[in-house]
Amino acid sequence: MSTPARRRLMRDFKRLQEDPPAGVSGAPTDNNIMVWNAVIFGPHDTPFEDGTFKLTIEFTEEYPNKPPTVRFVSKMFHPNVYADGSICLDILQNRWSPTYDVSAILTSIQSLLHDPNPNSPANNEAAQLYRENRREYEKKVAAIVQESWNDDEDDDDEEEGEKS
Amino acid sequence: MSGQMSQESDNEYSDDHIEDDEDEYDNYYYDNNDDLDLDKPKKSDDPEYFEFDLLKVEDVERLLNEEVEALCTSLKITPSLAKMLLHAHGWQRSLIIERHQRDPEKFLVDSRIVADKKNISQDNIMGLTHTCPICVQQLSKDEFQALSCQHLFCNECWDMHFNIQINQGLTTGIECMGKDCKLLVPEDFICGILKDTSMREKYFKFSFTDLIKSHSQLRFCPGPNCSIVVQAKEPKAKRVECNMCKSTFCFRCGIDYHAPTDCDTIKKWLMKCADDSETANYISANTKDCPKCHVCIEKNGGCNHMQCSKCKSDFCWMCLGEWKTHGSEYYECSRFKENPNIANESVHVQAREALKKYLFYYERWENHAKSLTLEEQTFKNISTRIQEKVMNNEGTWIAWQYLLKAADLLKKCRYSLQYTYPYAYYLDRGGRKELFEYQQAQLEAEVENLSWKVERAEISDTGELENLMDIAEKRRLTLLKDFLEV
Repeated sequence: MSTPARRRLMRDFKRLQEDPPAGVSGAPTDNNIMVWNAVIFGPHDTPFEDGTFKLTIEFTEEYPNKPPTVRFVSKMFHPNVYADGSICLDILQNRWSPTYDVSAILTSIQSLLHDPNPNSPANNEAAQLYRENRREYEKKVAAIVQESWNDDEDDDDEEEGEKS
Repeated sequence: MSGQMSQESDNEYSDDHIEDDEDEYDNYYYDNNDDLDLDKPKKSDDPEYFEFDLLKVEDVERLLNEEVEALCTSLKITPSLAKMLLHAHGWQRSLIIERHQRDPEKFLVDSRIVADKKNISQDNIMGLTHTCPICVQQLSKDEFQALSCQHLFCNECWDMHFNIQINQGLTTGIECMGKDCKLLVPEDFICGILKDTSMREKYFKFSFTDLIKSHSQLRFCPGPNCSIVVQAKEPKAKRVECNMCKSTFCFRCGIDYHAPTDCDTIKKWLMKCADDSETANYISANTKDCPKCHVCIEKNGGCNHMQCSKCKSDFCWMCLGEWKTHGSEYYECSRFKENPNIANESVHVQAREALKKYLFYYERWENHAKSLTLEEQTFKNISTRIQEKVMNNEGTWIAWQYLLKAADLLKKCRYSLQYTYPYAYYLDRGGRKELFEYQQAQLEAEVENLSWKVERAEISDTGELENLMDIAEKRRLTLLKDFLEV
């Protein structure tokens, strides 16, 4: 069934494949175009470098008039990411515009990893360390970068398990 | 409906004809006996005096339309645009005209009505069709519309956008859908696109509310289901009484009137009380033991001067001390005694002291609020008592009215007294606080005297009661004159 939201998501997917932005990727899940899986690679020259962070994006039929719900599945340590993985980002709330698409969402989150905003903290500890003890902050981030690879291995194991 | 009301007409009774009598009395008193009447406060002397009008929705609509039209003619713009400018600039017409004359283009750009040249989109419609960037449908070019920023979207997507925004309560603040575009969408553009008539009605209803909220001289009556709008020349923190639903409130912030405390302080206090309600809950019990014979006493009146029904000892409800020590001019019960050595104590002791201080003021604040509700009952009891007395030929109905007047004044004084506690809580230690607490104690003592008398008055005490009323109101006005900053 084609609805305006689904039609628009098809276009978003096509655009993401034809013109993929650097360091992000995303695709609808196999049986539901309203739920996407995405990966953001930690940007260069940031403590997140080399991390592979997984996210889920859930859309409603009101998309693109209303923003989707975006959440990190991989463990995150960032001033603007809540403990449950949800993200405090203006364009995903009050500054949302229906002209944004999945590609714009993912690149915005990627640049949030680059430039955290410690003034609107979702994770108080991360915000405080980011401001006051950058070395400790980077150490904590390095730990979750490591963990992001383990996620992959776990998944691989699962897949292998399924195969056998 | 738009008759002028002032604080003078405060003494309203439930029966209309009494009020009329009262007014005639007042007029007579004020107009002819001015020179003899040096004791009565004049309007200019009354720290609570405030002029305001009460308007119906139709009156407000007419008033706003007149202002919109006046701006339309002076700037030669559409009503829709004029409304946006008035809303954005707090309805200050002369300021709008002045800024518009200085640099019309910059003014409209700053007001988010016309797009800045560098933000104008370049994607024009080339052929006969165009693809909407939102719904990705290819449609004929006359299906598209844009504001001055030239961000083109199809009518269907605009309609969807407006529906979602209006359902979220947004009207005058609806922006263009373009990325990072903050241009405001004017009323005529929205109404030209909205298909659903019920949605259009919703838009007008919400935007009317928005317009009133942006108007510094207007305020909705906060009473439940009351549609009255108050108009006042200056947005001051003064008392307003709605003659429809009888709610009284502060014109500046719209919550319960709070003199002598100012709007910001009372908000801080109420928030604190809401946060700390659990801690304060235990003190809200309605019974205490008599300090002498320890019989359990329920407080059934507003007066804090208690007399134990069993042992007949007089004591103060607040501090459980002997009443005799309160009656004189040294009333200490309203004054919190701070530990002068607090800075040298441990954090733990300081925290406990802070809680103690808060509870001290909260307890008194809450107690006066309760007394006010209990005195409502006293007011009703007085009315029945008057009926009985008149039936038994003990004094005339007219002669008994002074008692109702006293009860009304008591309410007014106690109300002000209640709102002195948040003020005192946030007042820094020093001479000013001492003066405030002295005056507060004076008022408190007189309020309790009056309360005691009102609950027991007989026809023979008229003189004494009037004397008490006069002193209590004087104390109240003195305190407000010295500390009410508006």
